Amino acid sequence: MKCIITIELGTNGIRMFAYDLNGRVIGSMRGYYPTFHTEPDHSEQDPEQIFITTLYVLKNILNEYIHPKKYKVASICFCASMHSVLAVDKNGNPLGNAITWADNRAKKEAQELRRSALGKSLYAATGTPIHPMSPLVKIAWIRNSDKERFRQTSKFLSIKSYIIHQLTGEYMIDYSIASATGLMNIHTIKWEADALQYAGITASKLPGLAPVFTAAGKLKKAYQQSLRLPAETKILIGSSDGCLATLGDGLKGEGKATITIEDSGAVRVMGPAVLKDEQMRFFNYLLTENCYVSGGPTNNGGNIFEWFTRQFGDFTNPFDIENSIQQLIEEASKVPAGSDGLLFLPYLLGERAPIWNANARGAYFGLHIKHERKHFVRATIEGILYEIYSIGKTLGEHRTIKSLSVNGTFGTMPFCAQLLADLFNKPVRLRPQFHSVSFGAFLLSATEMGIYKSLEDAAQTVELPDVYKPNKQRHAIYADYFTVFEKLSAKLFDEFEAIGNLQHKYSERL
Amino acid sequence: MNQFLLQYGKSPELLLFPHILEVGLRKNGSIQFNTFLTTATDGLKIYHILEGRFEWRINQQPHVFFPGDVAVILPGTPFGSDKGALEIGSFTWIHLGIQKENGLIQFGNWSSLSDSEGAAIGKILLLNPSPVLSRFNEAGKILKCIHAELCSKEVAYQARINHQIDELLIQVTRQMTRQNHSVRDFPKTFMHLEEMLRQNLAHQWTVEEMAALVGMGTTLFTERVKSYSGFSPINYLINIRISEAIKLLKQPDIAVTDIALDTGFYSSQHFSTTFKKLTGYRPSEFRKNHLRTT
Repeated sequence: MKCIITIELGTNGIRMFAYDLNGRVIGSMRGYYPTFHTEPDHSEQDPEQIFITTLYVLKNILNEYIHPKKYKVASICFCASMHSVLAVDKNGNPLGNAITWADNRAKKEAQELRRSALGKSLYAATGTPIHPMSPLVKIAWIRNSDKERFRQTSKFLSIKSYIIHQLTGEYMIDYSIASATGLMNIHTIKWEADALQYAGITASKLPGLAPVFTAAGKLKKAYQQSLRLPAETKILIGSSDGCLATLGDGLKGEGKATITIEDSGAVRVMGPAVLKDEQMRFFNYLLTENCYVSGGPTNNGGNIFEWFTRQFGDFTNPFDIENSIQQLIEEASKVPAGSDGLLFLPYLLGERAPIWNANARGAYFGLHIKHERKHFVRATIEGILYEIYSIGKTLGEHRTIKSLSVNGTFGTMPFCAQLLADLFNKPVRLRPQFHSVSFGAFLLSATEMGIYKSLEDAAQTVELPDVYKPNKQRHAIYADYFTVFEKLSAKLFDEFEAIGNLQHKYSERL
Repeated sequence: MNQFLLQYGKSPELLLFPHILEVGLRKNGSIQFNTFLTTATDGLKIYHILEGRFEWRINQQPHVFFPGDVAVILPGTPFGSDKGALEIGSFTWIHLGIQKENGLIQFGNWSSLSDSEGAAIGKILLLNPSPVLSRFNEAGKILKCIHAELCSKEVAYQARINHQIDELLIQVTRQMTRQNHSVRDFPKTFMHLEEMLRQNLAHQWTVEEMAALVGMGTTLFTERVKSYSGFSPINYLINIRISEAIKLLKQPDIAVTDIALDTGFYSSQHFSTTFKKLTGYRPSEFRKNHLRTT
């Protein structure tokens, strides 16, 4: 019996799934690796620890689920977070840690470029919003501020490229991850000359571009032996978490959008054309040629409700945040839609789409003497979802959205799914306990093996059985409150900047 | 309670307790100068504030103490107040003849802590970032009990006093770890643990020590670490060790044996086996292989 293993190199760790060829999960495992914040604005991960964790978890999943049942691993498909940068020297040795998507050190570079004409043309060519997350400006930062590292760098890799290089010896980057670097032209699928020039590098400093179906070389002998995998095991380069979550939700065709809410979140659509947005609010990433995943990301998702729970939840079981979250959700459900007029702006981590304002901060608004703790709970959840809705609404300027799917731990909680249905006034579909990203990687592998004729066919087999139907009355309430939410988010622009500056001036911790 | 001072070698009450260098209660009615000078502490000192407000400097850092607070001064740490001033107020203290040997705190035969428990407590005391325990009256009660036992000499008082010292060390250690970790934030707790492990990678960590370091019992600790990280605590530690070892192996000048010991393996054989099991290479092969690609 053949099986497919998917490996997701995520923000908080690695997640692996083993599927049989019908897409049934044989087993799954995960392993944490840390993110280091050694300086303000820095967010880094240790490439060697990610590699060791990969080997460790892969070995365990093979020994527990695959080898004892005599499954034959047909392919191992990779998937990773976008926007990471890892500089390596001529021997392939990391020069410091990998810089993750959440790193903000290149904010000055990003701000300047975003305002310039070059910024506009680079955004149109590469599909990546000009933001500190973008490897384009991160490399520029290294060139400007870490000259020795820049001088020694032989290649700028993504974390996935590094892991694959360790396993097979090949330097490669897939179209999806490459399309999120701000360095690849998403129309010609080549490294973009103007972007390279801005970053101060040549294409030889980047790994080779490869379609998502590419087999990235053979496993090195030592790993064949230690993992007990045959030489012909295909190592599929795969795609990015964003693209695969969209594919995994079956999102091919008109009128569909998918909402992901994990720690952070995004609203995405998929189609043959890019979204051309004058205000540069959306990303356009590439799954395959002529298939773009477009949308807007938010910094403030489930992590904000976790923050709230840590501050104000009851921890009846020590360290059991899941339980505390459930208790709060129950409390929130006792409050009417709209939280009796208490509004929450969730911008605790600054914000990306649609306002793209790193200075944005959180706020409770409309507080009345009759509001109780439970109102804060509900308002917090509503605020996080208003923000998701504001991305969806802006997307609506470019695409007609008829139906929605939701994935991610926070978004798929029944309370949130219903709230999203009411808020968007559209049916919301999901599959509980379903991991869309890894299932997208499964669909990609299965298509590569010829089980499906195309990703289109593969996507059509996805079933999301749970449907949350919108409620008109609640939609009307949310729509009314949302207008205030939207106005506040724009109106507070100057005050966000002012308070951000004061926090920077007076607080060492912020 | 009245002021008192018992010192080993001078006070007959301490004849059976060579490990108690000093125990006392001081009531200070007026500010005094040049009486509380900064000196490097030999042994371990624990102070419990009863009344007043004291500004003391521990390891160069200024700290302010209020009633109920406890100061824990480790062997070798400079301790005293600026200009030797002693403010108005009262406090009790005990000074134990506990030494730091080879970077570890060792307790004597008087203690009924097992070797591993003693080592864990010693390690946590050394790693603890703050010498101040806020509002920790438990320590005062134990000190009071020790004094009462020393004076009354009821049957089995020797054992009781030694038990109370153990109790004091245990309570101080538990309080230290608890006050540093909120039960609300496991990710933060885990990051703290991870940092401690990295800073002391050569140490032979036990699960008990790791759990105690973050103020948890081993059962809850192991379960939480597993559900948060996907790894058992020891396996997570091994991951860090191998990741660090890989970095060191990529630098040609460090001997493999040194790498093994620096990253916490007890021998190069142990290192080699673990490394090969995980990576498929022996450390020396990995290094050679790595150099060949240059």
